[in-house]
Amino acid sequence: MTLDDLERLVGVEFPAGEFTIEGYEHWLTTDAIGSPTLPAGVAHPMYAYYAALGGMGLTLDELFAMVGSSAADGPMFGEAGLEFREMMRVGETYRVEGGITGAARKTGRRAGVFDIVSFELRVVDSSGAVAAVSTNSFVFPRRAA
Amino acid sequence: MRVSAGTELPVFEIEVRAAGMKTMAVLLRDPNPIHFDPAAVAALGMGDRVINQGPTNMAYVVNMLVAWAGDPARIRALKVRFLDNVRGGDRVVAGGVVTSVAGDGRHQTAECDVWLDVAGGPRALAGSATVALEADEAAGETPPK
Repeated sequence: MTLDDLERLVGVEFPAGEFTIEGYEHWLTTDAIGSPTLPAGVAHPMYAYYAALGGMGLTLDELFAMVGSSAADGPMFGEAGLEFREMMRVGETYRVEGGITGAARKTGRRAGVFDIVSFELRVVDSSGAVAAVSTNSFVFPRRAA
Repeated sequence: MRVSAGTELPVFEIEVRAAGMKTMAVLLRDPNPIHFDPAAVAALGMGDRVINQGPTNMAYVVNMLVAWAGDPARIRALKVRFLDNVRGGDRVVAGGVVTSVAGDGRHQTAECDVWLDVAGGPRALAGSATVALEADEAAGETPPK
């Protein structure tokens, strides 16, 4: 992927998707992550992330392909941010929308050439209010760049 | 609870279970075998223990914040950088410290540095969080620098 191709990704919108916080999945999740007891019906705040990534309108493999990479290239998490605006609730279905917000090419002494691609996902409740915003960046090694 | 710059957040500790990683791999539809197959981890030269999902490491910090705040609705934002891996069998400790308190009398927030450390090992992630305070909690606003 050329630098021009990379920079043209900024502003690309993802297809909208949706995510339902199923009760049994919430139970299993909170058990697996060792959550403290939560108020009845209230989803663990990490559902801002799980709903965003699980409900976005493309798979991670499709996202990686969009930026000219694949899981086999070893993309890594860079940063993750969550903004919690409304409490999310178990049983609710949320719409997920968003897109690519940043793309930059860097060169590290040990890592060589790599790209950092950032994207933002908004988790929207049935009233149209944004319940949470998830921002993430992935680091893509570009061994052949 | 009185909160001011320097207030230490009570730590959240947990032993990371490989079984939890398997559950999360299914729930997150994460096919990466480093989370459930020790042979795959070894084949990649990454040791002999499965590697925890990054978002689960983030969830431990959220658990720490929920336990401290007492109400998940008071957590307003979290941003983290992933620094190192957490492996099955590791004991991890999530912690934090208030760096500043801001806002008017009724709407105050605490800015916090947060982290997740592997006991006897590296820091796995670090970042910052914003937590809303109740009206009588702030012990004093942080003066502007």
